[in-house]
Amino acid sequence: MSNGTDGADESLYLPDFCTSRAALANVLIVELTALILTLAHENVGVGFWTDLSRTSLFLLWIGLAGAALLCWMRAPLNRLQVRRGSAAVLLLISALIAVISAGAYYLGRSDLVENAGASALFPPDLAPFLARNGVIGFVVTALALRYFYVTHEWRRNIEMQATARVHALQARIRPHFLFNSMNTIASLTRSNPAVAEEAVQDLADLFRANLSDKRDTITLEQEYEVARTYQRIEELRLGSRLRVDWKIDSLPRKALVPGLMLQPLLENAIYHGIEPQPGGGTVTVTGELSGNLITIVVRNPVGNYESEREGNRLALANIRERLGLLYGERGLVKSGRFDNEFIVTLRFPHVETLHEA
Amino acid sequence: MRPRVLIVDDEAPARERLRSLLDELGQADVVGEAVTGEQAVQRAAELAPDVVLLDVRMPGIDGIEAAKHMNVLEQPPAVIFTTAFDEYAMKAFDAQAVGYLLKPIRKEKLAAALAHASRLSRPQLRKIGNPGDTRSHIAVRHREGLKLIPLDEVQFFFAEQKYTTVRHLKGEDLIEDSLRSLEDEFGSALVRIHRNALVSVRYLEGIERNADGQYFVRLRGCDAPLQVSRRMASELRERFRI
Repeated sequence: MSNGTDGADESLYLPDFCTSRAALANVLIVELTALILTLAHENVGVGFWTDLSRTSLFLLWIGLAGAALLCWMRAPLNRLQVRRGSAAVLLLISALIAVISAGAYYLGRSDLVENAGASALFPPDLAPFLARNGVIGFVVTALALRYFYVTHEWRRNIEMQATARVHALQARIRPHFLFNSMNTIASLTRSNPAVAEEAVQDLADLFRANLSDKRDTITLEQEYEVARTYQRIEELRLGSRLRVDWKIDSLPRKALVPGLMLQPLLENAIYHGIEPQPGGGTVTVTGELSGNLITIVVRNPVGNYESEREGNRLALANIRERLGLLYGERGLVKSGRFDNEFIVTLRFPHVETLHEA
Repeated sequence: MRPRVLIVDDEAPARERLRSLLDELGQADVVGEAVTGEQAVQRAAELAPDVVLLDVRMPGIDGIEAAKHMNVLEQPPAVIFTTAFDEYAMKAFDAQAVGYLLKPIRKEKLAAALAHASRLSRPQLRKIGNPGDTRSHIAVRHREGLKLIPLDEVQFFFAEQKYTTVRHLKGEDLIEDSLRSLEDEFGSALVRIHRNALVSVRYLEGIERNADGQYFVRLRGCDAPLQVSRRMASELRERFRI
């Protein structure tokens, strides 16, 4: 049994610090921080420019060493999950700051600096210097990580929407269904032109729903209509072998759902569950509203020989993606085989206007 | 002579359309219809049609397996497959020059296919199934026609001179397949225990040795013990832990 909470891309969100572009961005962040620190400081003893220079020099050591460290550690860090990776980066950078701060302090105490008479430029006491730098470093690093994370998520979301669109294209109505329907209509044109006419209208509606891209989100009622249209065409072809039991009266009709969510599930259920059975079977669709959550369950019988096929997985992955885009973690798709049934469960919040979603 | 045609499709509108196209063409006589692969094989044996228009995707035994069984008949019919869309089958048909028609079927194409319909050869049949697909049934020819025995019900195959006996839950029958070809096709479901016997893995129960040091297998639901060759005895024990 699989469920919808699997993240395909769990790698760390950090940019590649090995590139020159990241190095440049890094220097920029360092200089801005140096400017803020210097401005916030009363430049006792030394002038503003001297203070800015020494602060930037100090921060550049930290910035460049940090970038080098992250570049070097990139492979192991990338293997970590977001939380652990972020904690590891914070820890690494804090340790680095401590080491460099201590280095700077001892450099100030060294003969070289004393002889040059430049001791005033260096921190007088180690402990407060370390503490101050540690806290500042921690805060700045945390802010930078947050910034990288948000940018990364935003980019990933855009990519996911693009893939979802591609998958939606792939998951569109099976050619098998199209040609069989055409065959049914060709037959009905002779024997029962009135029914043939309706079938053509149904097929047109179904394809219109499949081709519309602009309205990605529709109401449950509209989606139910699309599924029913599909069901009517399949009934012409399969006759009494196909039975669909809809138990969805308790569902809110105006609830928003991604378009083409029910129809592909019905199509899968018929293709894998009903058509392979000589005597046909019943697809059951049940809907429930409990609290704020809508649950829709689609079940179909399966024979012993039938395994989960590529097309089925693709359609499920697609619905999962689109529910995820609309409802984030609150949208859930589960599927699995239980005894002689294949069961797909959809769960998502009851929302009637888009800005709630 | 006008060919006698059997129409096979699980969908009523598809059968209806073929029938009316054939009526219009007036070059052939429809002698019957079948709605499943099993029924198609039965009808083909009873009616001895010249041509079978056979849907590829059907519940239970599909068109390709049905064609394999029909080929066991004394006078196998010519087969024309019909399909809405089945990329794999279409490629195989093209490669093996097997006649097929795409739904919705055009009248002219149907006429041309009827004019050129021919029997399928064994090699053609072997190559048009899905890779790794094996028959789900064994076809047995008898006086009234063809009987299909589900492979799941087969306990063992036993070879005697020219014929092979198949022993199954409902009795015994003679078939023409050789042990070698059965072993090739159903390799994972059967195991060779002797030069002259193949037994079904699912019925394998145990292995015994009599006073003379001779090994026998016990099969579930089967009284007669079957002799195991010395060479196979240890291999069987290891493989099935019996």
